Amino acid sequence: MYLLEHDAKLLLAHHGIPTPQGCLLTDAAQINQLPPGPWIVKGQITAGGRGKAGLIKTATTPVEVAAQTAGIIGKQAKGRTVRAVRVEQQVHGASEAYLSMLLDPAAAGVRIIMAAQGGMEIESLPQDALRIATAAPDASVLAAAAEKLAATFDGATGKALAESGRAMAGAFMATEALLIEINPLFVHSDGSWVAGDAKFVTDDSALPRQPEQHALLANADGPYLETALKDAHGCDYVVVDPAGEIALLTTGAGLSMMLIDEMRSAGLKPYNFLDIRTGGLRGETKRLVSVLQWMHQGPNVKVLLINIFAGITELGEFSQLLVSALQAVPDFKVPVVARLVGNGMEAARTVLAKAGITLHSDLDAALLEVRTHLGAGQ
Amino acid sequence: MSPRIDRNTKVILQGISGRAGRLHSRLMHEYGTNLVAGVAPPKDINKINGIPLFPDCASAVKATGATVSIALVGAYDLLAALQEAVAAGIQMIVTPTEGMPVHDALKAKRLTQEAGVLWIGGSTPGMAVAEVAKLGFLPDVSLKSGALGLMSKSGTLSYESGFRLAQRGVGTSVWVGVGGDPVKGARYSDLVPFYAADAQTRALLIIGEIGGRDEEDFAEALKAQAFAKPVFALIAGRTAPEGVAMGHAGALTYGSHGGYAAKRAALEAAGVTVFDTLNAMVEGVARKLL
Repeated sequence: MYLLEHDAKLLLAHHGIPTPQGCLLTDAAQINQLPPGPWIVKGQITAGGRGKAGLIKTATTPVEVAAQTAGIIGKQAKGRTVRAVRVEQQVHGASEAYLSMLLDPAAAGVRIIMAAQGGMEIESLPQDALRIATAAPDASVLAAAAEKLAATFDGATGKALAESGRAMAGAFMATEALLIEINPLFVHSDGSWVAGDAKFVTDDSALPRQPEQHALLANADGPYLETALKDAHGCDYVVVDPAGEIALLTTGAGLSMMLIDEMRSAGLKPYNFLDIRTGGLRGETKRLVSVLQWMHQGPNVKVLLINIFAGITELGEFSQLLVSALQAVPDFKVPVVARLVGNGMEAARTVLAKAGITLHSDLDAALLEVRTHLGAGQ
Repeated sequence: MSPRIDRNTKVILQGISGRAGRLHSRLMHEYGTNLVAGVAPPKDINKINGIPLFPDCASAVKATGATVSIALVGAYDLLAALQEAVAAGIQMIVTPTEGMPVHDALKAKRLTQEAGVLWIGGSTPGMAVAEVAKLGFLPDVSLKSGALGLMSKSGTLSYESGFRLAQRGVGTSVWVGVGGDPVKGARYSDLVPFYAADAQTRALLIIGEIGGRDEEDFAEALKAQAFAKPVFALIAGRTAPEGVAMGHAGALTYGSHGGYAAKRAALEAAGVTVFDTLNAMVEGVARKLL
C-alpha cells in the first residue's frame, strides 16, 4: 500500500532514518502539540502531487498553523478527502538531494537512484543528474552498492547519500518495501541529513509478517480502507466514483478493470471496482452480503450489474448464494442485471428467474439492460 | 526452456493433497496433461486421482524423469517449493498462488534465473497449449487451438478474451498467464524470442494492465528482436485511481509510474495495435488472422 507521508516517516524513523520533528493533526484545535516552528503544514493523502493540489503550506505562528490546517482538511484531491495534516518544523540552510530504492523486476534486484539535486518530481530532474545502480535483494549487498554509488558524489552530499543509502538499504529489506523515496533529502554543510519528504509503498502480501505495517489497518475508516477491507474480507473493493450509478459485482482484477474502462468510455458511471474471488466464497453468503452493504452506501447507485466469467465456479451454486445475499440486504432495492458465463448456466438461469433476474450470457446485452434501468429511473 | 509442452511432457504437482491440488490434478489430467507424480507430505495413501505420490520433488523427479512442475501451495510456502523444484532439476515451474510476498519473489527469480529454469507466476491462472495440455486453471471453453500466441497478466480478462476469440473462430497456440504480481518469473519480454521462433504462432496478443513496466519492456524487446508477426494489445486500468492496488498486487500506479498512457505510447511506437475494448480487439485480431 501507498503510505501517508506521516506513516512513512514514522516507519522510516523506526528503521534509523531521521525526519524533521512533526505531528499529525486531524483538527485545527490540536495546535497545542506542535514541535518548534516555523512550520510546514502538509495535507495527508495516499497519492503524490500534493503541492500542485494546494495541500502544502507554510506557517510562522500557531494561529497560522491552525488556519492552514483548517483550510487543508476536508479538501478533495485525486479523488480522496484530506483527513489530516502533518505539521513539521521547517528545515533551513540545507541543500536538497534525491535518494530512492525500488524494485527492479527484470534484474530481480533493487534499483538505487541518487542525485545531487532534489525537491522536484524525479521526472522533472535532468536525466544526466540521476545515478543508478542495481543490487541483489540482500541488506548488506544493497548497503554496499548504495555506498559505492554515493562515493561518486563529492563532499557533504556524498557523505549524506552514503549514510542515508546504508540506512535505507536496511529499511527497504526489513520492511519488504516496494519503493522508498526521500525527496528532498536535506543535506547540511557538515554532511548531516534528514528526510524532507517520503514516499513509501509496501507489499500487501507481506502484511501478515510485518506487524508494524499491519497495525496501520486497525482504523477501518482510515486511509488504507481498501487494504483493510481485503485483509478482513478477502476481496478487493475500491469505490472508483463516489457519485457512480452502477454497482459492480465482478470477479477477476483484469476483467473488472476493463469493464470499468469500457463503461466510462461509453458514458456510463460505475461506482466501484470489485474482485469478489468467487473461488473463495466456499458456499457462504458472508462476503456477498458485505459487498452488497458497501454498495448500498453509494448515494447515487441505481442498478447492480453482476459480471462473472467463471472458469471453475459452479454458477448454479453461486446464483443461490447471490439470491440469499440479496434477500439478506433488503434495503438495497435496485434492479439487478446478471451476466454469467461458465459451468452450470442452466441451473443458474432457473435460480435467478425465480428471483426475477434475467440471466444474460452476452455482456453487451447486459449493458443494454443496465441502460434501460438508468433511463427508467430518470 | 520453451513454454511449449505436449502430451509427453512429464509433469509433477507439488501440493497435490490440498483442495486445489485434488481438483486441478483431475481437471488437468482430463484435459490431456501428463501428470506423472504428486508431491505431498507422507500419509497412508499412495495415489490421488490415480497419480502416484512422493514425499519430495527429488524422489518424484528421480522416479519419473519429470521436467515440469506446477505448485499449488500456500503463498508463504512458494519460495521453498521453488527452491525444492530447482534443486530437483525441474526445468519449468508454474505457480498459480496469489499473494506471494514480493521479496520472496525477488529471491525466487534470482534462483530460477541463475539455474536457467523457466518460472511462470505467481498469481497466474497458468499456461496451456490449446487442445493438447494445460498447467493450471484455464477454462476449457476459452481454449481453442489456433495461430494466436497469448500472454496475459490477468486470468479473467484472458478467459473472456479467449472465449470471445474462440467464438469468433480464432484459436490460440501457446497461452501463457505471466501473472499479476509486480515481480514475476517470465515477463512478456522474456518470451518474445520464443514466440518469434514458434511455427504455430502467426500473431501475438498481450493482455496487460496498469502498474510496473512489463508492457514498456515488452515493446523494447519487440524492437530488439525485429519481431515480424503482428502484435496486438489490450491494457486494463485506463481509468483506475492512483495509489490503490486494483486487485492485482502489480496493478498499482503512483505518479506517472505504471500509468496507462506510457504503456500505450511505448507499445504503439513498437508497431503494436492497441485496442480500447474487448469487442474491438476480437474484431481486429479476427480480421488479421481469419
